[in-house]
Amino acid sequence: MARYLGVRLLLIPVTAWILVTAVFFMMRVIGDPIEAALGGRLPPDQIEQRREAAGLNRPILAQYWEYLSGLARGDFGQTQDHRMVADIIATRGAATLELVCWALLVAFAIGVPLGRYAATHRDSASDAALRLFAILAYAAPVFFVGLLLKLLFAVRLGWLPVSGRASADVELRLQHVSPKTNIMVVDAILYGDNAYLLDVLKHAVLPAIALGLLTAGVFLRLVRINLIQTLRSDYVDAARARGLSARVVTGRHAVRNAMIPIVTVMGMYIAMMLGGAVLTEMTFEWKGLGFELAEYLKARDFMAVQGIVAFIALVVAVMSFVVDALVALIDPRVRF
Amino acid sequence: MRVSRTPGGRRRAKGIAAVGLVALIASVLAGCGSGRTGEGGDGDGLIVGTTDKIFSLDPAAAYDNGSLVAETQIYQYLLNFAPGDPTPKPDAAEKCEFTTPTVYTCTLQAGLKFANGNPLTANSVKFSFDRMLGINDPNGPASLLGNLEKTDVVDERTVAFTLKVANDQTFPAILPTQAGPIVDERVFPADKVMADEDVVRAKGYSGPYTITSYDKNKLVEYQAYPEYRGILGTPKTPRISAKYYATTDNLKLDLQSGAIDAGYRSLTPTDIEGLRASDKVKVLDGPGGELRYIVFNMNTMPGGTPEQKLAVRKAFASSLDRTALARDVYKDTYVPAYSSVPQGIPGAAEPFKDIYGAGPNKDAAAKFLADAGVATPVELNLQYNPDHYGSSSAEEYKAIKTQLEGTGLFRVNLQSTEWVSYQRERARDAYPLYQFGWFPDFPDPDNYLSPFFGPNNFLQSHFEDPGITAQLVGEATQPDKDRRLQQIQQVQRDLAQNFLPIVPLLSGKQIGVAGKDVQGMEQTLDLSFKFRYTVLSK
Repeated sequence: MARYLGVRLLLIPVTAWILVTAVFFMMRVIGDPIEAALGGRLPPDQIEQRREAAGLNRPILAQYWEYLSGLARGDFGQTQDHRMVADIIATRGAATLELVCWALLVAFAIGVPLGRYAATHRDSASDAALRLFAILAYAAPVFFVGLLLKLLFAVRLGWLPVSGRASADVELRLQHVSPKTNIMVVDAILYGDNAYLLDVLKHAVLPAIALGLLTAGVFLRLVRINLIQTLRSDYVDAARARGLSARVVTGRHAVRNAMIPIVTVMGMYIAMMLGGAVLTEMTFEWKGLGFELAEYLKARDFMAVQGIVAFIALVVAVMSFVVDALVALIDPRVRF
Repeated sequence: MRVSRTPGGRRRAKGIAAVGLVALIASVLAGCGSGRTGEGGDGDGLIVGTTDKIFSLDPAAAYDNGSLVAETQIYQYLLNFAPGDPTPKPDAAEKCEFTTPTVYTCTLQAGLKFANGNPLTANSVKFSFDRMLGINDPNGPASLLGNLEKTDVVDERTVAFTLKVANDQTFPAILPTQAGPIVDERVFPADKVMADEDVVRAKGYSGPYTITSYDKNKLVEYQAYPEYRGILGTPKTPRISAKYYATTDNLKLDLQSGAIDAGYRSLTPTDIEGLRASDKVKVLDGPGGELRYIVFNMNTMPGGTPEQKLAVRKAFASSLDRTALARDVYKDTYVPAYSSVPQGIPGAAEPFKDIYGAGPNKDAAAKFLADAGVATPVELNLQYNPDHYGSSSAEEYKAIKTQLEGTGLFRVNLQSTEWVSYQRERARDAYPLYQFGWFPDFPDPDNYLSPFFGPNNFLQSHFEDPGITAQLVGEATQPDKDRRLQQIQQVQRDLAQNFLPIVPLLSGKQIGVAGKDVQGMEQTLDLSFKFRYTVLSK
């Protein structure tokens, strides 16, 4: 077990390094940030001066080494607009974490009961409909689903806000009392005002559904397949033979076992959702890490993009390790 | 108390949980309207939405529209533009004038203070300009001060700028630009850019507003600074918040739903058309300074001789229907441009309209080509950029291709390239003719002339003419205002008649959207391109 985990622990920095290196060189292929910002406004000699001042005319390997050395010291660098990348990760990362939590809640709330229903009504019309729903939910682009949700619930019905994490006045009030966690729902609770909490919650509904639906489709299919297999197992037959009702057998015995693979894949889904949140955050102006990543990518801000991607790479690598560890704990066969 | 572990107890717990969930959802939906909560005490405030971004609050590193809006609210300048007036007038200064041909002297108002309580003196002004030039940040506007030799403190309230070129009439117009904010020398570092959060904390500014809450490119709150004494006047609304959007559709929807009070930059033509039809908001147009145009590479463009190249350019200029472009592509959010100096800028003329006509003239175009012996149809490799000049560029250039080919005189091979490659390739002479655009730094006609047609200009199109250069130097250093305007009109005519290194297409209007109950926006949509919160109220 220790050897198994040790090897996987070593893979964390290797995975992160590969991703960081790939992003470092890819960023330099897609273009020069000085040209992007000021080309068309200044003569070439002044553009060149500014490239020199920004250190972009140094050998690429020297830039790479400096960047890696900084990362090793925990220094994610500074953006072109003079922000510390680590600060962005801390504040905006919390926003993304909040969104991912809400989305997971939606994914569970929709995916698990519907998967259970589909499994217990196997091969019925409703099972077919739910399987189709799962495929559609997984395949539909987040921005498209988000747009539909906005048009229906925000524009047509006027029930929910179009975008943002809170109304402007609520955000300002929370800023004035110095947010403690940057997870807005927690800050609203700490601030102790139900009206603000309500405002924050209703802003979370549509983004959570848009992102959560995607994962709900996966959960639905996983629960369905695992539950069908579990319901065929001997211990379920034994439970039925003891006279337990179908509801109790399914709910208390089968579903719990069927959930094990879901829990193990959940770690990876959290990591994937960090990346998948980009489109949701852009669609709903949810100013999280994905949002910042997209904005800095547009601005070709090397340090910002590298820093954020390095962080996401680290999260993915750590999550991968946690999943491996969980699977090893649950199923001893994988350790050998 | 322990929860019962019996099946009945579990069912009860589930029931309670279900009821709680329903209650939570109901309460969420019940409070819902998509607007503001009404709990924020916003009766004295306004919320302005934008898709612009703040790059930096430190003037040394800010040379973009989003930063300019923030700077306009918090910094004071020696000279600034009063709402509706594109002529620089004293702001922190009491007066400014040329005391010798190479020395521009400003006297400050007495008793000015930064928002942190520190005095604003001539030392502060010298520090601000020295710092701007000294840091020379890659993303900063230091290049605007290219003609500034040095800044001297004469006394506590007097500062003297020594210029490299005498009688530079553009210098007063540069003082209100992003190169001109006055910062507190006691809190700003002399040799490096200050982080936004530190700028907010240090309050080393003295404009009409201070920043009381700052979440970069998300939400910024401004509070009126009661000690401000300058040309922008006392703010009509004491508290204004700026909300930053990534997408125009969210900005548009929030405007329509009343979640925000006003929107400034940048809605798409389609969004604007939709908002014009809404009875909840008003769409306001201001004069535009943005110019969209086509550049000809004088070396690689079609034509065997300079005369033939000139004829191709003239025929090109005679074949365009700018009105149709403005109407069909941009829903009249742009207006036809018949000079590189847009209408509304002092000294603007319309030589392309006078010489080549307001609409397409196929006969005139054919004659230009025939007289120069150019065989038709002329092959044009026309480049445009799809990501830097707005999403409608593709539609705009398809329309231009259709117009040109409609004359039967041109065959257009339309190509597009992503911005960074576009920039690189056009500088390598890869594009014979291509799309370009310009946002002015300041509302002076020279800002539409010298950067385009002077020596070592940024277009790099190989255009340079000693006569035009002399004319540009002449107008830029002409102290007599009327005579200067005449010179500016003459150079526009000469360029259109004899050279056409660029063909102007469209000039952009400034568009602002405000709730029906919001007043004042029309006052700030003027040629200064400064969006001033001081005039907004409801």
